[in-house]
Amino acid sequence: MVRTSSEFPGIEWVEGTGDFIRIDGEKCTGCADCVRVCLAGCFAVEEKKAKITSLERCMECGACWYVCTGDAVSFSWPRGGTGFRTRWG
Amino acid sequence: METYDVIVIGAGFGGPVAAKKCADAGLKTLMVERSGIPGEKVISGLVIPIYGFLFGPAFIRNGNPPIERPICSVVNRIVKGGKIAFTDHSLKVPAPVVLGYSAYCKPFCTWLADRAVESGAILRTSTTVTDLIVEGGSVRGVITETGEALRSRIVIDSGGTQNMLSIKAGIRKKFVPEAIELYMIWDFEMPKADVDRVFGTSMEFFHAMPEEKIGAPLGYGSTLYFFTYRDSIHPGLGQFLITEGKVPNVQKLLRDYFSNFTATVTRWKQDIAPHAKLRGVMWDVCPIYAGLLPETREMPIYSDGFLIVGDAAGFEAAAFGDGVPNAWFSADIAADTAIEALAAGDTSRSFLARYEEKIKADPFIIHTISDGRRWNMREILKSRDENEFRRKVRDHWGIGAFRYGNMGGPCLRAARRAVAEDGKSISSWLNMFRRYYANWEQNRFDRLSTD
Ligand SMILES: Cc1cc2nc3c(=O)[nH]c(=O)nc-3n(C[C@H](O)[C@H](O)[C@H](O)COP(=O)(O)OP(=O)(O)OC[C@H]3O[C@@H](n4cnc5c(N)ncnc54)[C@H](O)[C@@H]3O)c2cc1C
Ligand code: SF4
Ligand code: SF4
Repeated sequence: MVRTSSEFPGIEWVEGTGDFIRIDGEKCTGCADCVRVCLAGCFAVEEKKAKITSLERCMECGACWYVCTGDAVSFSWPRGGTGFRTRWG
Repeated sequence: METYDVIVIGAGFGGPVAAKKCADAGLKTLMVERSGIPGEKVISGLVIPIYGFLFGPAFIRNGNPPIERPICSVVNRIVKGGKIAFTDHSLKVPAPVVLGYSAYCKPFCTWLADRAVESGAILRTSTTVTDLIVEGGSVRGVITETGEALRSRIVIDSGGTQNMLSIKAGIRKKFVPEAIELYMIWDFEMPKADVDRVFGTSMEFFHAMPEEKIGAPLGYGSTLYFFTYRDSIHPGLGQFLITEGKVPNVQKLLRDYFSNFTATVTRWKQDIAPHAKLRGVMWDVCPIYAGLLPETREMPIYSDGFLIVGDAAGFEAAAFGDGVPNAWFSADIAADTAIEALAAGDTSRSFLARYEEKIKADPFIIHTISDGRRWNMREILKSRDENEFRRKVRDHWGIGAFRYGNMGGPCLRAARRAVAEDGKSISSWLNMFRRYYANWEQNRFDRLSTD
């Protein structure tokens, strides 16, 4: 199955990615830097802890992982052939 | 268990160059790519600067890759109060000579991968490499997401910026956020006749002081640029994840800069917007300042049985973010090194040290990753000197780009070296300019395996 988003035209997301980004609640300080850099709005901070609301529009950029210098965000790739794709990159 | 001479991770811009050269040398070569089609996960500008074509692999220069538009000039606009206060159009060359060619990543990377496959490399798509096989400290292959072990005598990592594999294997560390620029990109359809009339064969930059709010503070991001394609335009802008010491609300700022630009700048409102229709919105990170920060610059680019190329090695050019030429150069050098190592039967770290030596001897790689021109734009934030601002724009994005200390020196050294190695270099460059231009005029390129 392939999804699209009206906010981000020209991109398709192939389903079946698995949970390729995770947050370690123990390490999270609730600083919200991940929220500040994610253009897809994948994160929210509630009660001083970050959580992933949805990876449905993730562009696999890794910005959340780079800014989380305490290593609370772990980042890997989605399964091969899944996740975002575009003709206009 | 399959065994290869060389496994290449990634079929973006660097991977196929390495794979083709290894396959041409008779090595059993496998490329592993996580996307379904090469290039469909590569988000980039993209104007590939001419030095990549002139001094990079001959098969690209001698081929007919799918380019979008020859780029013969750079137009620099300095914006003040929504108006164009100053235009620098000092950097231009007469067609068919160009400063670069614009392209979309998917067709271009597919074209590159097709050439590697034609030479005998095997391409496996929709396959994510999750681990390196490390035995006694040496890399001996890769493991895919299904747990499949693919063994090889050497692994070339051209997996791009995020580079989790060498981090996991303890060879490198994650880039620090100060080195990383987050880019937001838009793609607009625009009839070719309008692109021809409004832009011609130029690309255009809009520079401004921070109070204009159409881009990141100078030196902390790329100025808003318009790359021009055949019948589309491709604006983008970026901001570093750490700006003036902290993580700003980048996701909001990037959107705001572009909407402020479209709301205030007359060049957009009058000349561009009436003809442009939005077709794509995307983003990606780019490790632009990796070569300027000591902690990232000093990270290893090889290990036992392992060579790292392109963005994964931190070879993004610091002034413009043009990483494709360095991906090509380093992939070419990595392939040479792999071929020599396998011929000598020695893939040890000490043998592969020649990879780093050759990287250091390359006329462009170290020069471009250490180029402080963009970084130094920060000085204007303090001085607020408008003349200095214009001078720096001209020196950076204008004719000054060709100064000996900027790109002039490396280009001259590379040209001398190329001519010494092959007396036909100059005619092959002229042929390329003519053929690429004719291909563009006729809109006729090599067929892709995906057509
Ligand atoms: C917004 C933006 C604008 C840019 N503009 C320009 C420009 O105008 N000019 C220019 O020259 N350069 C530009 N660049 C830089 C250029 O895109 C890169 O330098 C270039 O793509 C690097 O090539 P590479 O082979 O190292 O990596 P990539 O081209 O990124 O290729 C990496 C490939 O590896 C695959 N991969 C990664 N990990 C795995 C894995 N574990 N398993 C299997 N496959 C994997 C990826 O899917 C991808 O296909 C820009 C970059 C960005 C982000
Ligand atoms: S950046 Fe890291 S530490 Fe900060 S809120 Fe996000 S997950 Fe938590
Ligand atoms: S990888 Fe990029 S798009 Fe995906 S969640 Fe992280 S910041 Fe957001």
